[in-house]
Amino acid sequence: MSKKPTVGPALHKVIMVGSGGVGKSALTLQFMYDEFVEDYEPTKADSYRKKVVLDGEEVQIDILDTAGQEDYAAIRDNYFRSGEGFLCVFSITDDESFQATQEFREQILRVKNDESIPFLLVGNKCDLNDKRKVPLSECQLRAQQWAVPYVETSAKTRENVDKVFFDLMREIRSRKTEDSKATSGRAKDRCKKRRLKCTLL
Amino acid sequence: MEFDSPEEKEFPGLYAAEAADSKSKKSKEESDFDEDHEHNKKDLLIGRRKDKKDKGKDRGYAALEGESSPEEELETKSPSKSKKSKTFKFVSSKSKEKREKSRDKEKSVEEPAHKAKDTDKDKDKERERHDEKEVKKKDKKKDKKDKKSKQLSQQQDEDAEEEDLAMGCPVFGVSVSLATERSRCHDGIDLPMVVRDCIDYLQEQTHNFVIYKVEPIKAELLHLKRLYNNREHDEALNLFNVPLACGLLKLYLRDLPEPMLTTDLMYDFEDVARHQKGREQRIGLQQLMEQVPKCNRTLVGWVMLHFYAVTDQERYNKLNHESIAVLLSPTLQMSAQLMVALLRHCRLLFADIQLIPYVPPLTAASKLPEDPEDIQMELRKQDSLLAQIHSEMNAGFITKKREEQLWEVQRIITQLKRKLRSFEKKQEKSIEELDGSVIQPVPVTATAPVVVPVPVGEDITDSNNQPPAPPNSTVTTISTEEHKPGRRASSSSPVTHNIDVSDCIQVHRNEEHSSSPSPPLYTIDRESGFVLLPETNPHREELLRLQIEYDELMALQNELKARIKAERNEVYRLNKLCEMQLLKHQAAAGAQPPKEADYERIIEHYKRENALLEHKKQMLGKELKEERRACIALQVELRLQQF
Repeated sequence: MSKKPTVGPALHKVIMVGSGGVGKSALTLQFMYDEFVEDYEPTKADSYRKKVVLDGEEVQIDILDTAGQEDYAAIRDNYFRSGEGFLCVFSITDDESFQATQEFREQILRVKNDESIPFLLVGNKCDLNDKRKVPLSECQLRAQQWAVPYVETSAKTRENVDKVFFDLMREIRSRKTEDSKATSGRAKDRCKKRRLKCTLL
Repeated sequence: MEFDSPEEKEFPGLYAAEAADSKSKKSKEESDFDEDHEHNKKDLLIGRRKDKKDKGKDRGYAALEGESSPEEELETKSPSKSKKSKTFKFVSSKSKEKREKSRDKEKSVEEPAHKAKDTDKDKDKERERHDEKEVKKKDKKKDKKDKKSKQLSQQQDEDAEEEDLAMGCPVFGVSVSLATERSRCHDGIDLPMVVRDCIDYLQEQTHNFVIYKVEPIKAELLHLKRLYNNREHDEALNLFNVPLACGLLKLYLRDLPEPMLTTDLMYDFEDVARHQKGREQRIGLQQLMEQVPKCNRTLVGWVMLHFYAVTDQERYNKLNHESIAVLLSPTLQMSAQLMVALLRHCRLLFADIQLIPYVPPLTAASKLPEDPEDIQMELRKQDSLLAQIHSEMNAGFITKKREEQLWEVQRIITQLKRKLRSFEKKQEKSIEELDGSVIQPVPVTATAPVVVPVPVGEDITDSNNQPPAPPNSTVTTISTEEHKPGRRASSSSPVTHNIDVSDCIQVHRNEEHSSSPSPPLYTIDRESGFVLLPETNPHREELLRLQIEYDELMALQNELKARIKAERNEVYRLNKLCEMQLLKHQAAAGAQPPKEADYERIIEHYKRENALLEHKKQMLGKELKEERRACIALQVELRLQQF
């Protein structure tokens, strides 16, 4: 009933996906509160909201931090459906987590039914480069195949943390403006058609 | 749905009067002569007319269409005459009495002649009676109603998508367990939300005379039903009034596919009510009640306890067990006899049920609780709400609104969890701090040794007002130096005391913890008052040990408390002394100030000396504490042997 929220700052909905223990929550908490949590505590689902300035414009970002484990797959679709952009996270020190990104990508595409959904492939834990298991070239190749950007981050050192969130928000924003143009364009088309009919009559 | 009889809304008084007619002439008289509202009424009616125009499209019946325009002409002259013909509605509403129907007929016969002025007069009279009756109600509800009509139109857009939920997974007309599951109270009480809301609302109104007597406006009632079927509880709650809440509760109960005591047991229940009396009857009912499914039992319990509460206010609402049974037993699909029996015994039958008002889960706008227990409770509610949203979404009811809610609830849960975690951390820290505080006093006293009395004051936080320290007097420094031993003890003892208290608390907690899972079979030792578990219980020794330890620690705490008190007195005495000497000194030495260099040197000297002593004191304090602990441990072992 209250239509205020839509009038307020734009709201972008970001969802963190990826295997367990790759650092989704760590990235989120680092972005939200500038804190790095050492201890591992599995997430079921957590959601955060933050006001940020994106290219001079105040916007709100909603971040949904999901569970990496299959156990919570049942509720995952409900979240995926309402997400506007996705950060697909894996750990560069864990090849399994990299392989799992394929599956996450497919799930998202299945739910969203949209190949060009705003999406970033994120290789986390880049501060542990000496323990790297996934070669950079392989990551870049996969990102290329999917036609999405690839960024390496470190939740520990905060490297590229802001970058991934802001890059994704920019994609979401440009996507939204495209969409609204498209719909208003269509609406105009309809008007034109009608008018044409009238003139025909 | 709610539009199929728009006029009814404008004339709620019709039903109301009808009901009042049959049930209580008194109430009618009261309201009939209520004239203050005359002008309000007009305003209201004019306003209403606008609404009506807006809604014109939604009229579901053709019969009135021919009339509507002349009617509106009339209205411009006298707004109060505007409404006729609500009569048609009665025909369609099934629950009306014969008398009503016959009257309807009369009216509808008159209907064609309506426009003629002479018949108008009679009609007006009749109508006015209804109007006035209801003006009272309307006044109260005016704001709400206006809001509602706005909402109504807005809702229409959303209806399309929401309607699915009402159609596919309604709350009304399904079994109690299904309704409870679909529309649950998130505080762990298994009642359908609609029942909870009605009872919560009516529990506040038990003294209200109209309770369960006046029928609500049908259209509003149906609107409420729809809101609940759509799970739009908050909105529904804003529209509540007494007749509506009663009506809604009754509607829910009437719509149940089987009696809430279940069809299978119904016969037995009736049998017990008919053939048994008093205690026997109660036991019979109790036995049957145990066979009723749990959520049905909760429902019956809540409903009966509520009705009981209503009859408890008999002197205000004139309803006793028998009369309320006459009113409501048909709705409950049981005999009046059975209902009276249930009412009579309900407090014993449902001793475990308490009518607790529902506090819904927080929304994003509200402030989060601070107390960890409240946070825990709120977390449980939010989790329950979240689970329900997920299940609704998984069942295919996905709307923008629900998705928003999903994120919002998730966000609140995250915040609550963070809060709880930070609270736990703080608690851990404060315990650590207490342990670490033994070392802390050293730097404090070392940095400011000259201002001798101040550190003492800091150590004993709540001690008597300390006079300000003499800024530059060698005499005082010396005099306090002499009393050092006393001070040493005073600053160390509160610290040890604190630690011991916190230990005590921990021990105490452990004790509670270990005793809770133990079986209820235990004995209490006469001498010591300790709880003794049977020999076979593996927790016996632990529990005993904890109790003894607790006992010992309490003794120590008392001792330390006594010492603190004594030392505070000493501090106070010394301060007095210090003050007096300072005064004397100032009087005597007013003429000859001490040499600067000497003065500095003396201060340096004592500073060092003090720091050293302070450190020694600290070490001694620690040793003392450890000794104490060891003593207690030994004491505990000793006493344990005795048992």
